[in-house]
Amino acid sequence: MDASLSSPRAFAAIPWVTTVARLVLGGVLIAAGALKIGNPADSVLAVKAYQLLPESVAVSVGYALPILEIVVGLLLVVGLLTRVAAVIAGLLMLAFVFGIAWAWAHGLRIDCGCFGGGGQLGVGQEPTYLLDILRDFGLALLGIWAVRFPPGRYALDGALGLGGDNRSEGEYDDEQS
Amino acid sequence: MSKAERTKTKTAREKIKEQQAAARARDRRRRIATYSTAGVVAVAAVGFGWWYLASASQSEVASGSLAPITVQSDGSVVMAKQGVTSPVVDIYEDFQCPACKELERVSGQTFKNLAAEGKAKVVYHPITIFSQEPTKSNSVRAGSAARCVADGKQWMAFHDLLYQNQPSETEAGFTPDQLKSWGKDAGVTSPGFDQCVTSGKNADAQLSYSKKIADEQKLEHTPTVKLNGTEIDNSVLFTPQQLREEITGAAK
Repeated sequence: MDASLSSPRAFAAIPWVTTVARLVLGGVLIAAGALKIGNPADSVLAVKAYQLLPESVAVSVGYALPILEIVVGLLLVVGLLTRVAAVIAGLLMLAFVFGIAWAWAHGLRIDCGCFGGGGQLGVGQEPTYLLDILRDFGLALLGIWAVRFPPGRYALDGALGLGGDNRSEGEYDDEQS
Repeated sequence: MSKAERTKTKTAREKIKEQQAAARARDRRRRIATYSTAGVVAVAAVGFGWWYLASASQSEVASGSLAPITVQSDGSVVMAKQGVTSPVVDIYEDFQCPACKELERVSGQTFKNLAAEGKAKVVYHPITIFSQEPTKSNSVRAGSAARCVADGKQWMAFHDLLYQNQPSETEAGFTPDQLKSWGKDAGVTSPGFDQCVTSGKNADAQLSYSKKIADEQKLEHTPTVKLNGTEIDNSVLFTPQQLREEITGAAK
């Protein structure tokens, strides 16, 4: 990548980067949601394990998370409502980063429950907070990219003429058609 | 270019402009419609999924009085109607374990109802699964205090109170004073109870029973619930309706 940001080649790469960001972020969300949805009780437990939310709120969040992750993940993968989906996905990731940091700071010994499981560490397992935080923060950055440069190549938003963003419409349109 | 010609050109240009504006407006309406439709569908999907997951985990309501409860000499507790010997539902649980608390919240009433309906013999095995502090000591204090309760009804009330008041896994909890006061709330009146809790005289029994049961049953986690000796899968365990079907199905 010797092309500088202002060069046409780098400019042409932007929608492709968005596509990759969408696929990675969406794919991770779908996987995380799918692994949780078969066992909502675990999801509730994992949320409770953070000891961050009041009991009743934690129960609701536990039931809502798996389906929210799957729907937002699907939207990102197909590139529909890209900007909105990316905002939600990015906020989710930042919330996870905050939650994990909170658990770490409070000396809790939990599994992040990111990909299912009830948030309990198995025998002899150690928490992996730093790794979890770095991963989720990286995913949040992908979300921010997709918010800034929607909808990327191979997006339903593009095919439907939605552009993912009404304000900047036309900004990259010469690239798209 | 004459003046007339210029006017003519202008009107043609305006016409084109108007047409373009109309096309843009049409396009915009179509975009908004598509966008809103997709948004509504997505929100509805999340809402429906949420409702579905929450309702699948809906607990049963109490269907009347409990089946007779007997505290056995080894500390396990049998809840069954007279003469009901099968199917046997063994519940291996730890008062300090959050997942056990969650099981109690979601499916606890299902076990009680099935026993009351004479559809199952339910056996509680309170054990200590934790090996690290402070959870281990918390669990041992709670488990040995439960062993101080001889009456079945009082034991069940105490059992429920322990879960309702489960401490965090990061701090010392289930203090003797708390345990004694919950005992009173559970209706325990026997004179030796306070002394039994304070002295922790059942701690050894709790630990040796836990080890024996964990080895015998090859327990890897709590809660473990076995139906006639076979472990019930978590996805069934935490879905009251499926749990009921699984257990009543085993009776046939």
